[in-house]
Amino acid sequence: MNEKNNLTNQMPIHKRGLKFYASIYKKIIIQDIKSKMSYRADFIISTVGMVMTNLAGFLTFMILFHNFPTINGWDYHHMLFLYGFSLVALTPVQCFFDNNWNLRFQVQSGDFIKYCFRPINVFFYFISEVFDVKGLGQLAFGLGTLGYAWHKIGLPVTALNIGKTIVFLITASLFMIAIMNFAAATCFWIIGSGYVMVIMFRFKDFARYPASIFSGIFKIIFTFIIPIAFVAYYPSLVLLTPDKVPVLSWLSPLFGVLFFYLSYRFWMLGVRKYDFTGS
Amino acid sequence: MSKQASNEPAIVMEHVSKNFKVLNRREGLSGSIKDLFSRDYKTLQAVSDVSLTVGRGEIIGYLGPNGAGKSTTIKMITGVLEPSEGKIMVNGVVPYQNRTRNSEQIGVVFGQRSQLWWSLPLIESFNLLRDIYLVEEKEYKDMLELYRSLVDLEPILHKPVRQMSLGQRTLSDILAAFLHNPAIVFLDEPTIGLDVAMKSKIRDLILGLNAQKKTTVILTTHDMGDVDALCKRVVIIDKGKKIYDNDMDHLKTFFGSYRTLRMRLDGEDEWTERVIDENKTDVMKEIEKTQKEHKIKDIQVQEISTEEIIKKIYEG
Repeated sequence: MNEKNNLTNQMPIHKRGLKFYASIYKKIIIQDIKSKMSYRADFIISTVGMVMTNLAGFLTFMILFHNFPTINGWDYHHMLFLYGFSLVALTPVQCFFDNNWNLRFQVQSGDFIKYCFRPINVFFYFISEVFDVKGLGQLAFGLGTLGYAWHKIGLPVTALNIGKTIVFLITASLFMIAIMNFAAATCFWIIGSGYVMVIMFRFKDFARYPASIFSGIFKIIFTFIIPIAFVAYYPSLVLLTPDKVPVLSWLSPLFGVLFFYLSYRFWMLGVRKYDFTGS
Repeated sequence: MSKQASNEPAIVMEHVSKNFKVLNRREGLSGSIKDLFSRDYKTLQAVSDVSLTVGRGEIIGYLGPNGAGKSTTIKMITGVLEPSEGKIMVNGVVPYQNRTRNSEQIGVVFGQRSQLWWSLPLIESFNLLRDIYLVEEKEYKDMLELYRSLVDLEPILHKPVRQMSLGQRTLSDILAAFLHNPAIVFLDEPTIGLDVAMKSKIRDLILGLNAQKKTTVILTTHDMGDVDALCKRVVIIDKGKKIYDNDMDHLKTFFGSYRTLRMRLDGEDEWTERVIDENKTDVMKEIEKTQKEHKIKDIQVQEISTEEIIKKIYEG
């Protein structure tokens, strides 16, 4: 330590880039999964719970289709495709961004301040703390549904189609993540942010229906204000109707990245606001 | 990670003030609605014109009643808040302008809030912190060795934080804060809620780490036992202003040299207490005077406790 003392002010400036964050994140997740596995009963019960929730959602869907064979020109398998697509797209928000649900408690109790003292990004530090394994059940369910519908519709399995699917699934999940970021970050300004989060989270159920069934004002709201229509409908059109893809669908990856970035800025703005008042 | 040459102070604050704008809230529902659009702010001065220099390796007690501006000061030194006026240098870094860099050279412990990963065993938290602070492997190993020499590490090292007792958790939090060998560590109520044995263990640990690593420690606490055991120097702020900055020993004479004289007189079971300012009256004379009239069975002379002095200062 003594030799270091001579290096007055020569502290190395550490650059923490994408690689640094990726490696930290990987380590946190592995540790977290390990510790979750050790609580076996909890793990099993939550997995069963997730399967039941998904089954219930699926049953509602079946009953609906039993009564209406097509919705606005969408037949059973196309709807199923949309349904599977939305389930997969909703997995990242469930798995990786679940700690947003705890944000308001930490902010209100003042515990949030602890995230401000580390030399890493506050949003990353906070979000990385929780990895929710339950989302994996949903992912499996969604992938199964998507694969089945894909097969029934007779979509060709080409590299292009698979590439499109991946890009637009990521796009779709970015929208949902951003919506929840916005909703969670409202807690920096208002007390009742729990309601905002619950309402936004409920809206995700609309994602599994084609936005064309909504009329007028709702279509505008779900496209431009609370962009639920981008959490499955617009991105999936790229695959479902390759001959007439709306411009909005092609633009959705760009919008997704932008919207996510805005939600991140909004979240960080909240942190600054918290710094000034919370004690 | 790196500490500055020992002749340079760890923290320099020059005429630092912090103002907050607060909305003048109106009453009732219509008031709340008006507040939404209101531009009617008043300025609150949380810290006003505080200058402070803390040397390398010092342990200072930073005291004050609730709402005095302690946490605002700490937030400015840690780079969370920008001072409204004045200059702050922490180990050669302007905290607010280089928040990340500043965070690398400080450690923070909140007695009531663990900063460790709740579900991870302590060693895994340590490993993560090593990665986050980019600590060299050798320094990391040396630090763990030092920890082993100061506390019994084995029983807690593989225990998830959530299964720990409060004492173990506090201990772990302190170890975690020193892990990257920061120049300055902030301890906020480090012994809150702990039993006497654990309190003294924690104090010994802090003293040990301070001695070995020459770490500057800023301690905020309401527990005068902590202050007595750890600090040579005390800074007291009240209503945002620094009202005292000197040695612990000097503190005891700050408001006169008070002693409590306790006497038990013949035929009485109760102690008679008298607080005497030694600058004005002599304790011996007081005893002589009493002896002329009564027979004294027992005598005690007590120093006034730090707690009472602080109370006197707060009450101002």
